[in-house]
Amino acid sequence: MGSRRGWALVAIVAVCAIGGAAYVAVAALGPSQTTTPASPDLEAARFRGELMVRAVDPAEPRLNGHVYVVAGGDVRRRSGGDLTCERVYFAAGHGICMRVADSGVDYDATIFDSRLRPTGGFPLTGLPSRARVSADGRYGAMTVFVAGDAYLGSSAAFSTRTTIVEMSSGRQLGQLEQFAVSRDGAPFDAVDFNFWGMTFAPGDSNRFYATLATGGHHYLVEGDVRARTMRVLRDGVECPSLSPDGTRIAYKSRIGDSNRWRLRVLDLDTLASHPLAERRSIDDQAEWLDERTLVYSDGVDVFAVPADGGGRPRLLVRDATSPVSLHRALD
Amino acid sequence: MYQVEASKALLKPRLWMRNPALPRVPRNVVLLGLVSMLTDVSSEMVATVLPMYLVFTLGASPLALGAIDGTYRGAAALVQVASGFAADRWRKPKEVAASGYGLSALGKVALVAAGGTIGGIGAIVAFDRVGKGIRTAPRDALISLSSSKAGLATAFGVHRAMDSAGAMLGPLVAFAILLAAPARFDAVFVVSTLFAILGLAVLVLTVQGRPRRAPRRADGAPSLRAAAGLLRDPRFGLLLLAAGILSIASVSDALIYVGLQRKVDFEPAVFPLLYVFTAVAFMVLAIPFGQLADRIGKVPVLLAGHGLLLVVYAALAMGSLGYGVLVLCLVCLGGYFAATEGVMTAFAGALLPASLQASGIGILITVVSVGRLLSSLAFGALWFGLGLQHAVLGFGAALVLAILAAIPLLLRARRYPAHG
Repeated sequence: MGSRRGWALVAIVAVCAIGGAAYVAVAALGPSQTTTPASPDLEAARFRGELMVRAVDPAEPRLNGHVYVVAGGDVRRRSGGDLTCERVYFAAGHGICMRVADSGVDYDATIFDSRLRPTGGFPLTGLPSRARVSADGRYGAMTVFVAGDAYLGSSAAFSTRTTIVEMSSGRQLGQLEQFAVSRDGAPFDAVDFNFWGMTFAPGDSNRFYATLATGGHHYLVEGDVRARTMRVLRDGVECPSLSPDGTRIAYKSRIGDSNRWRLRVLDLDTLASHPLAERRSIDDQAEWLDERTLVYSDGVDVFAVPADGGGRPRLLVRDATSPVSLHRALD
Repeated sequence: MYQVEASKALLKPRLWMRNPALPRVPRNVVLLGLVSMLTDVSSEMVATVLPMYLVFTLGASPLALGAIDGTYRGAAALVQVASGFAADRWRKPKEVAASGYGLSALGKVALVAAGGTIGGIGAIVAFDRVGKGIRTAPRDALISLSSSKAGLATAFGVHRAMDSAGAMLGPLVAFAILLAAPARFDAVFVVSTLFAILGLAVLVLTVQGRPRRAPRRADGAPSLRAAAGLLRDPRFGLLLLAAGILSIASVSDALIYVGLQRKVDFEPAVFPLLYVFTAVAFMVLAIPFGQLADRIGKVPVLLAGHGLLLVVYAALAMGSLGYGVLVLCLVCLGGYFAATEGVMTAFAGALLPASLQASGIGILITVVSVGRLLSSLAFGALWFGLGLQHAVLGFGAALVLAILAAIPLLLRARRYPAHG
């Protein structure tokens, strides 16, 4: 190696080291996050039929994820904001907040009460995706995306993991991957099983529905928390959401093999289903505002649409995702 | 964090090199190891934060990310055969490898500059994959041509240990930056770019492009016909056949982790540790297994390595497992990689003529990766149809047969007179 090359290398190392350190230092000392005051009373919000949402502010990414209670769909009349989540849900005094942990590099689930005060939590093993709490506040369910690791050239396909928790104690009761699945009465198992999008039966929180994905199919399964079993009901149902009266399931229906979905509602008695008036592709687990109305987010704003397939979608809350109907949640 | 282990093991190659009883590792090999380490720090930094960045800052669905990652695997396999031949044809393995490292570095620059859209990030991931495909075969050829035939497996062991050390340091660096500057993904991308540039600079400025075993100029440029003739070469053909058979019976580590998860009832938080344990075992064992292969022969080490995989199969075929067996499985899996990955390439390097090193190594890598793909598909189908137990037993039987079939092939491949 000629000494000219040696000096060139020394120069490059020095420039890279100083430049990198300077950039990180400036980033670390940049403007800090502002905080929003006042914790809302979710019990009081119930009587006004309000909605809990997670803010997504395109202008200020640092405010992303703050959870607010909004009145009358007006995000300016909001309270809360101390809790920051990637996905949030709440029912009967118990809430789940899936969030970036204080370390800034991992995820955890925080369990909170009706004043958005944390009461417990545990680490998560992947990117937050879906959260639900049973109507009686007994059980919670969380889905995370788990990335296959790139070490040693293994495939980096995404898989999901869905965990059930007992909300009062914060104890994890197990993952759906550990439950026994049956199809047409026979045991059913495969290496590519993935579960997501749980919803609990309103009258009986032990009973739940979820999506089982395997071999290109997306099955609706009905499960039993205590028995740790599930059975396959039908194909083509993702992210089910049971209506308050427990007779219908709102879900997303994949268009072909694409990553595009239409929102539909399935009648559990007749097994007939109909599309909703929302014609865009929606990747969300819909939420029942009441027996007649569904709310969901397109990733930017929260919309409402009639459950009977009529009408048209209307904008409910700007710059928000993860809507939770407090009207229902506190009944 | 547990990944701190990586930095300790980094020191291992240096300690080992002072041992006078063993042949010296050529400077070029250590420098190429440093290049790979810096490049792996760069790409693993980005790989670690990309899911968070895409989903939380750009609002992408993780499914879109899966599609981004999966798209370019097939293309990389074809690229490495072509780049291997190009390196031999122009007799410029260093320059061809540098173009691959440069392409990846360029992708990182683009990530800093544009970033914003899913399509843009897809293109950048494509750059990185194609760059990796281009550089692998010529780089391994350089390692091979820089080493004496008696020290080939050790040289590859040193390189692989440094390479996986970089892969473990990358996430640490990314986490450290995000701890100091929360949500500043741009800082991660900038530092990643700088590491990529450093790797490229070390390659261009320090690595010797015409090492001592390099082909003589008088030999003339090898033709495409000569490269294709490698497939009919009695020794290399036997090695390819053995490597292909063994890889078809080897289940990918991703599937093994899923299987272990079903067998051992561990907390979900433990799952990422499986990769770390395996990678640490790979890193720590790569050098000693390489030395062993140089001392007692590559064939017994290769076969014993696949024997370690059989231990993992046996554990998967048992009922439920405890944590002790789980750790044993991961050490065996890391040992399997350490005893086979670099040693197989060293075997090829010893058999191949100097003028066709990169072409042959490119072909070998492609055969092994296609074999692994087929085995993953077959294993998934067996698991689906017959259950995990039967799938593992079936693959165990297949691996025993593959090892038995590989013994005569490898021994005969070794026995033929070597090229000059």
